[in-house]
Amino acid sequence: MKISTEKFTELAKKEVEKARARPFLKMVPHSLYQKRKAGLATLPDAAAAQAYGAAIRSEAINRLPELLEEFEKKATANGAKVFWARTAKEAREYIVNLASERGAKFVIKGKSMVTEEIGLNEALSDHGIEPWEADLGEFIIQQMHRPPFHIVGPAINVPVEEIRDLFMAKGIMKEPTLDPVALGWAARRFLREKFHRAEFGVTGVNMAVAETGTIINLENEGNIRFAKSSPRTQVSVMTLEKVVPTMKDAMHLIRLLSRNCSGQNISAYVSMDSGPKQDGEIDGPEELIIVIVDNGRSGIYQDPKARDALRCIRCAACLNICPVYRQIGGYAYGWVYSGPMGQVLMPLLLGLDKTQDIYRACSLCGACKSVCPAGIDHPALFLYYRSLDVSTDHSFKGKRRPWREALFFKAWSMAVQRFWIWDTGISVTRPFINKNSENGVIHNMKGAFGGWFRKRDLPPMAEKTFHEKWEEIKKTR
Amino acid sequence: MQSARNEILERLRAAPKTKIPVRPFMPPLKEVSLDKEELVNQFTEMLTAETGIVYRVKNNDQALEKLTEIAKQEGLKGVMVSTDDVATSLDLPAWGSKTGVKVMSAKDFNGRDEFRDAVFDRVEAGITGIDFAVAESGTLGLIHDKDQARLVSLAPILHIAIVPVERVFPVYETVIESVFNQEKLPSQFVFITGPSMTGDIEGHLFKGMHGPRKVIVILIG
Repeated sequence: MKISTEKFTELAKKEVEKARARPFLKMVPHSLYQKRKAGLATLPDAAAAQAYGAAIRSEAINRLPELLEEFEKKATANGAKVFWARTAKEAREYIVNLASERGAKFVIKGKSMVTEEIGLNEALSDHGIEPWEADLGEFIIQQMHRPPFHIVGPAINVPVEEIRDLFMAKGIMKEPTLDPVALGWAARRFLREKFHRAEFGVTGVNMAVAETGTIINLENEGNIRFAKSSPRTQVSVMTLEKVVPTMKDAMHLIRLLSRNCSGQNISAYVSMDSGPKQDGEIDGPEELIIVIVDNGRSGIYQDPKARDALRCIRCAACLNICPVYRQIGGYAYGWVYSGPMGQVLMPLLLGLDKTQDIYRACSLCGACKSVCPAGIDHPALFLYYRSLDVSTDHSFKGKRRPWREALFFKAWSMAVQRFWIWDTGISVTRPFINKNSENGVIHNMKGAFGGWFRKRDLPPMAEKTFHEKWEEIKKTR
Repeated sequence: MQSARNEILERLRAAPKTKIPVRPFMPPLKEVSLDKEELVNQFTEMLTAETGIVYRVKNNDQALEKLTEIAKQEGLKGVMVSTDDVATSLDLPAWGSKTGVKVMSAKDFNGRDEFRDAVFDRVEAGITGIDFAVAESGTLGLIHDKDQARLVSLAPILHIAIVPVERVFPVYETVIESVFNQEKLPSQFVFITGPSMTGDIEGHLFKGMHGPRKVIVILIG
């Protein structure tokens, strides 16, 4: 997948102008947010449950090396094979080789974000092995060659007309229809044939349980269960932070992940694998291979502040509540991850230099933080990234800002620290600003700050500063 | 060259340590204080909310009668059944020869490919027993083993699950404790809550995306 995080501002502007995505963005994130609220309300104390989830994720990250070792030991004892990959390249080469060795003509894929991160589909195609995304949304965007619009509903913004045209062009159905249910049936029939013949299945992992060596997947459609039941070989790919201490912890996170994601008490299917199929089982994989991907995360882990980004469990609650995401949708973020979770992750994975606008596209309102079941403080991380960036920190490739901006803030910081400069500045600027005032409100202004007035007004500046008034008050008493 | 495994683990171990937070207090779920009958009611209510269909019968004979009724309603000609203890206790092959429904199980097939052909294309329903039911969310818990093939509850368009009432438990943790507190773990354990579904096309709810479109539960007891 092409990474275009550097073009964030340009892409965001384009997205805002796209009329077609607007009604979707006005509805879906809001309705998911309402469902989430209702879902959490079924718990005796939602706030305590969220705090408990944050404590689990915090502990998991804290004990990461130890838990990973334990997980590997238990998973191996269960009969699974564990492969470690330093980079995206190592991971995809290993999987492609394995698929070739096993003689797989095609691969059936359960929905996963990490296989998008490592660019597995392109690598498989390059080697003549067809990857079939089997989650309906992923299936649609794969055929359209688009990035996910939303990490949970990747194609939720695609209008039915486009899906009809796509399915007709690709021979997925014979009779055109705009009925979403009929479109769903067409995809079911098409993919069913793939599930039936599949010899090689690839899935992601929602949680890896250290205590038992078990991998857990949550889903609603059944594509992941098929990928883990029908083929002879199952490859499950996880990034190294997916590990949790105990099965009990996993159960609590299942409650939180389902509720925060879609408001469900639990997703339709939760499958938990401890090793490949056993003697006498007629289906299920003969070999289960778990690929643990680092891809920069052990580097992120060196920074005790930045490593908090690794707590994320991919519920997408932060996308649904984010006022920026709600305006621009998922495409502008330029890679697989979007919304606040993408904004905390991508700068670390790709470098602060390649994502400068991504972690600045935030008003620090804190809505994401308020809904996060993993206890991530997104705004604090954005401020941290910004500070690392301007101080050209090496570990995450800080780049420094353009000289005009740097100069402006240097002057600004000098002015606000010396009240005589500030006061002089105020009395010089006041007439220029206030001359735009009409009946006590400024509706518009020419120049650099014009953009402010597209959606807002500004009150005029007071004729006297507080200090000036205070001096007068003191005199009269 | 060092192995990727050791390199990654060493880098993680060398990183600065932070304090493990204390787990905060969290009140228990209300299900843990329900009695048996309340649990069954809660299970039924929650599964019904997920569009599952729940029938309750007194004994195996009544369960078979219900099954005959369902077979007629759904027009079942062929079914794939599990051979777990609950399904076996119903003697479904005998039921099949009486009602004219062709009853197959994984044991009738020679290997994966033959079994897949049948379970994907030759049956209109999968009938399974279950190991656990969870009141908390109307969830079924199935341990996959030689008597509980994975595709029986997944590939056919209808899943009929037979649930003895004494197997209804309050919360996931109760179930997990008994499945995962043993030497040999099941290759797969699965929670099923209602039918397969998606909202991926413009948010329209569509049941039966890849797995069953309908889940029918017969509660016995």
